Amino acid sequence: MSEKVKPKVAFFDFASCEGCQLQIANLEEKILDLIDIVDVVSFREVMKEHSDDYDIAFIEGSIERPIDEERLKDIRSKAKLVVALGACACTGCVNKLRNQWTSEEAMKEVYGDDIPENDFFRVFPEAKSVDECVQVDAYIPGCPIDRSEFARIVTDLILGKKPRLPAYPVCVECKKNENICVFELGQFCLGPVTRAGCNSACPNFKSGCEGCRGFLDDIDMQAQKDVLEEYGITVDEMKDRFNMFNYKKEEY
Amino acid sequence: MTKEEWLRFVDKIIQEDSREVVGVQAKMKKFVFAPLESSADLRLDYDVAVLPPKKYLLPQHEDLMRFSLKGGAEADMSPASGRIIFGVHPYDVIAIQQMDKVYLGKNPDDAYKKRRNETVLVASDILSVQERAFSASMGTNTVKEGYDLLVTDLKDRVLLEIGSEKGKILLEKYGKNIVDGENSDAEAANALRKEIASSFKTETIHGDDWHGLLEKEYGHPVWQEESEKCLECGSCTLVCPTCYCYDVQDIADLDMKEGARKRTWDGCLLKAFTAVGSGEVFRDKKKDRYRHRFYRKGKYNPDRYGFTACVGCGRCSTACLPDIADPANVFTRLASADEEGEPETNIDLTPPKVQEAEIDKPVLMPRSATIVRIEEPTKCEKLYELKMDDGKPLDYKPGQFVMVSVFGIGEAPISISSAPGGDTFEMVIREVGDVTGKLATMKPGDKIGIRGPMGNGFDAESMKGKDILFIAGGIGIVPMRSLIDTVLANRKDFGEVHILYGCKEPGEQLFKEASDEWDERDDVVHLLTVDKCPEGACWEGNIGLITTLIPNIDFNPENTVAVVIGPPIMYMYVIKELQKKDLPDGNILVSLERRMKCGIGKCGHCQINGVYTCVEGPVFNYEDIKGLPEAFHMGW
Repeated sequence: MSEKVKPKVAFFDFASCEGCQLQIANLEEKILDLIDIVDVVSFREVMKEHSDDYDIAFIEGSIERPIDEERLKDIRSKAKLVVALGACACTGCVNKLRNQWTSEEAMKEVYGDDIPENDFFRVFPEAKSVDECVQVDAYIPGCPIDRSEFARIVTDLILGKKPRLPAYPVCVECKKNENICVFELGQFCLGPVTRAGCNSACPNFKSGCEGCRGFLDDIDMQAQKDVLEEYGITVDEMKDRFNMFNYKKEEY
Repeated sequence: MTKEEWLRFVDKIIQEDSREVVGVQAKMKKFVFAPLESSADLRLDYDVAVLPPKKYLLPQHEDLMRFSLKGGAEADMSPASGRIIFGVHPYDVIAIQQMDKVYLGKNPDDAYKKRRNETVLVASDILSVQERAFSASMGTNTVKEGYDLLVTDLKDRVLLEIGSEKGKILLEKYGKNIVDGENSDAEAANALRKEIASSFKTETIHGDDWHGLLEKEYGHPVWQEESEKCLECGSCTLVCPTCYCYDVQDIADLDMKEGARKRTWDGCLLKAFTAVGSGEVFRDKKKDRYRHRFYRKGKYNPDRYGFTACVGCGRCSTACLPDIADPANVFTRLASADEEGEPETNIDLTPPKVQEAEIDKPVLMPRSATIVRIEEPTKCEKLYELKMDDGKPLDYKPGQFVMVSVFGIGEAPISISSAPGGDTFEMVIREVGDVTGKLATMKPGDKIGIRGPMGNGFDAESMKGKDILFIAGGIGIVPMRSLIDTVLANRKDFGEVHILYGCKEPGEQLFKEASDEWDERDDVVHLLTVDKCPEGACWEGNIGLITTLIPNIDFNPENTVAVVIGPPIMYMYVIKELQKKDLPDGNILVSLERRMKCGIGKCGHCQINGVYTCVEGPVFNYEDIKGLPEAFHMGW
């Protein structure tokens, strides 16, 4: 890569725990490979410097306030490629749970009655994913992201290959890992409808999939509901589970 | 031998043999094959392992090769040090024999072959029966061959039977002091096998009878009804010892100097399994995919290889959450439908009698080639002239294709457009997927990888003396060009020649220069058409679909061979027009596009019902495959 100009890369965070950026900081020795192929010009978690001259912008977090959307649009206008990093950016993640109440109710619950009158406290009626505000060129889902998937998407982008996510469910990876199905362990699991790519991280530890990577595009939710019902999950439990990482106003 | 002798034998192998020793052991309430540290961990009393020992021969993930992103690949890899597998049940031994037939048969898979040769199978008789297993119904609950050693645990004593030279060597090396078994051991083993055979809780009709049922039940309501409950999780195929389809992906290292071509298990229940670069999904509905799995088991594989691809292990039934995967249930239901006299839906699924193409070895390793020239005949297509770097020109027939590797991006099947015989060859590519997208950015001098030539092409020899009617739609002209040039280069050997070519609009017309030449020749009738002509475009030919050209041409149906290549949607309409002109179906040749990953009849993606497009096609006689519902009618 040395003969080519390295793409300039910047990381930005919005409403999130910044855990996905931490995953990248935790690439450890691999981070040397990363900075060998890209020029990191902004990454608040690991460096002081910042530059507004970048090619690829990684966005972590969901978009909660008009000032966030403004900042995001500014980033979009400067970047050639925008990548949604992590569940909050990709689907809105748990931040969207507040959408079941009005923003007034939610603000009052969190901040009490004395809410300052300024832009920092002015929120959208509903939390949004990044692609609800600007065009997104690639997604790296998960809560948190999977480091090897991050590496693959970065190399795909630089190679000029359309970054694709697995179009099959977590069960595929889980079966390959020879896990005992968590349904058989008496738990429930969203693996059959959730996009793979995490190497079935949770079922590997005997814990059901929560759907943090988002549901597959083409799923048969009715078939999944029938299975959950068969395994004794109530409708309310089901709704809660579906909504945790994939909140939808209309019912699943 | 005594139990103690047996345990000492196993421990001696674990301690002294340089190969990896694996065996069945407990994992929570279930069992798995895993590295064995002591004979005490070996659980010959298991019912079934979560995954079959197939994982040691065709692993869940493997690197087929390492490559440089600048071009050039090296086959993996670390020398396989061999493996001794303890406790393989008879049904899994039979499943491995089936795998051997596929992976070691024509166009053998090198990676599999290497592992298989260095694997020692120590089989074990079934001691406890899994709830959903029905191997007694399939005749796979006991085994007489296919293992290196067979152990039968008789509580105090153990019977060990030698099945091969490999097994004999193992026994001689580590069991020197073991004395020959007693006759009573063999009798006890037989009694045990009988007892086990009668303790299966699940039954169905014998696998040999599945074939006959499936021949008439393609339209049975079970396919729709059961598939509606399907989660499409792919578990049934992933846990199956007889499933061997796979996917391949190129993954670049993060430093982007090198990368690996990775192979991983895939399954036909997953929707993307049949998707091609241009977006078509050839088995689009859940019903199609659900049905395919059972037809592969009971019809396609018996026709193709002579075995029923199910050993009754019960894994799929256990793994399937909606419980619709169990072949025992489905075939029992189909059999009862038979008795109740439900209307039959006869579909002729007879496989064509086509020779599988033989591919140059090594079948999975690309040869390096250099792009020597690039042209841009249209806005959407580019023409590439390629030269093999090893100096050996590609030896191909018109209609064959190559697997093109752009290292780091992947591999795609691409047809050859030039006539055979040159030092170089040409291909024309429309940018539709990752590989073609990257090719579009490449320059002369850049390196790519080539595997092949692949598949069955056209047999130009057998067409001599005939009138030839070429009908191409869109980029169907590309594979056809090779044959057109071959025919025109030997013009006197053929009768009348018609070339009908249709594309969407004038800007998409390929091979314009050649087309002008064909126009000028008086021994060729050349007709062009476009679906539509945008305002301002210059076009003197016909406007209308390719089918509109056919009624106006004269040909002798007795002596004409029609060669039809185009997008999937085109075939049935064109063939209908040809039939109207009394052209016999056996005089129609087609070339079909499907998703291809391996090109050697293994990975499964390109199957049209039971036919592998990559090795039995892509060129087919229409007569041979017209009965296959998946060939021309999408979503039967």
